[in-house]
Amino acid sequence: MPPVTPLLAAIIFAAGAVSGGFGALLGIGGGVLLVPFLNLVLHLPFPVAAAISLTTVIATSSSVSAARAGKQLINMRLGMLLEVATAAGSLFGGVTAQMLAQSTVQKVFGVVTAVVAVIMLTRLQRRNVILDPDIDPGPLGGRYHEEESGGMVTYRVKRLPLALAASFVAGNMSSLLGIGGGFIKVPVLNAWCGIPVRAAAATSAFMIGVTATAGAVIYYGTGQLIPALAASAVLGVQLGSWGGMRFGQRASAMWLKLLMAVVLFVVSAVMFTRGIR
Amino acid sequence: MTRLEQTIGAVLRAGVIASSLALAVGLLLQFMHAPGAQLLLHAGILTLLATPVARVIVSIVGYIRVRDWTFSTLTAIVLLELLASAVAALVFNKRL
Repeated sequence: MPPVTPLLAAIIFAAGAVSGGFGALLGIGGGVLLVPFLNLVLHLPFPVAAAISLTTVIATSSSVSAARAGKQLINMRLGMLLEVATAAGSLFGGVTAQMLAQSTVQKVFGVVTAVVAVIMLTRLQRRNVILDPDIDPGPLGGRYHEEESGGMVTYRVKRLPLALAASFVAGNMSSLLGIGGGFIKVPVLNAWCGIPVRAAAATSAFMIGVTATAGAVIYYGTGQLIPALAASAVLGVQLGSWGGMRFGQRASAMWLKLLMAVVLFVVSAVMFTRGIR
Repeated sequence: MTRLEQTIGAVLRAGVIASSLALAVGLLLQFMHAPGAQLLLHAGILTLLATPVARVIVSIVGYIRVRDWTFSTLTAIVLLELLASAVAALVFNKRL
């Protein structure tokens, strides 16, 4: 472990700002970027990197969702239903982490991220939106005002068991790797469950706070959560997610999906390479 | 905007502001080698961890208030899962 110097704190603050910006923009929590940076570039032990990342995931989730609460973009009922699965997955993730070799997990992570990125690219033009605002969204669907078209968007939730399964896997990955898990949920919710990408990202960002807390509590208990380093990252993330949200208001859905796919390919390559070594 | 969503927004905002303040001041004190730095940093982290838990508790109360038994049960399960993870952390600690 390197000593906690003002320089190290400043570097982690900057890394938090960058990953927080992406997290707010894409609903991926930012951990998929922060964990590889802390682990590979700053050479922090993997559990220490994961613990720092989980605290930033919680901070991003709380601040982004506080700003969005009541603006209809977050589907709170769907989020709270899916949290039953993410929290259970997060719990089992701790057990899974004890049974699998770290290199195996990293290779699986690399493959899953690449598959998800390909899915995002093949569905760039798909909108999954019911444009008739009078249609019934059902018990779990929602409606919100879309900035791009200026109209109301209404959607129904399809294939709920699939959404629950994806949430369980996302929760599992969260405590295993120190990420939010939004990068698994958002594409599945968007591609197969009929939820527009913005609503999927906002709902995921809302959920990952609870998911990451289940993992972070364990790292805090084992003493692998170092408060000073987590503080630097969390404060950086506050700045980054503020910037990401402002920028996200003007970015188009297609541009968001393209950016997300590129980010996922980079993360996939980095993690897979690590798993082979 | 429903009353529950308003309350959830307020809880999340309060948690973020309180934890960020504690972490920022704690970090400054740490680099000034001032006393109380560790205490503030730990308080900040614990506030951060408690925020999503508080949000879940507020949701349970909110759903019970409107007699939505399906969602009060679902959110109560989420709270139990969070408690189970804290228990798992303690069990894991004892083994070390």
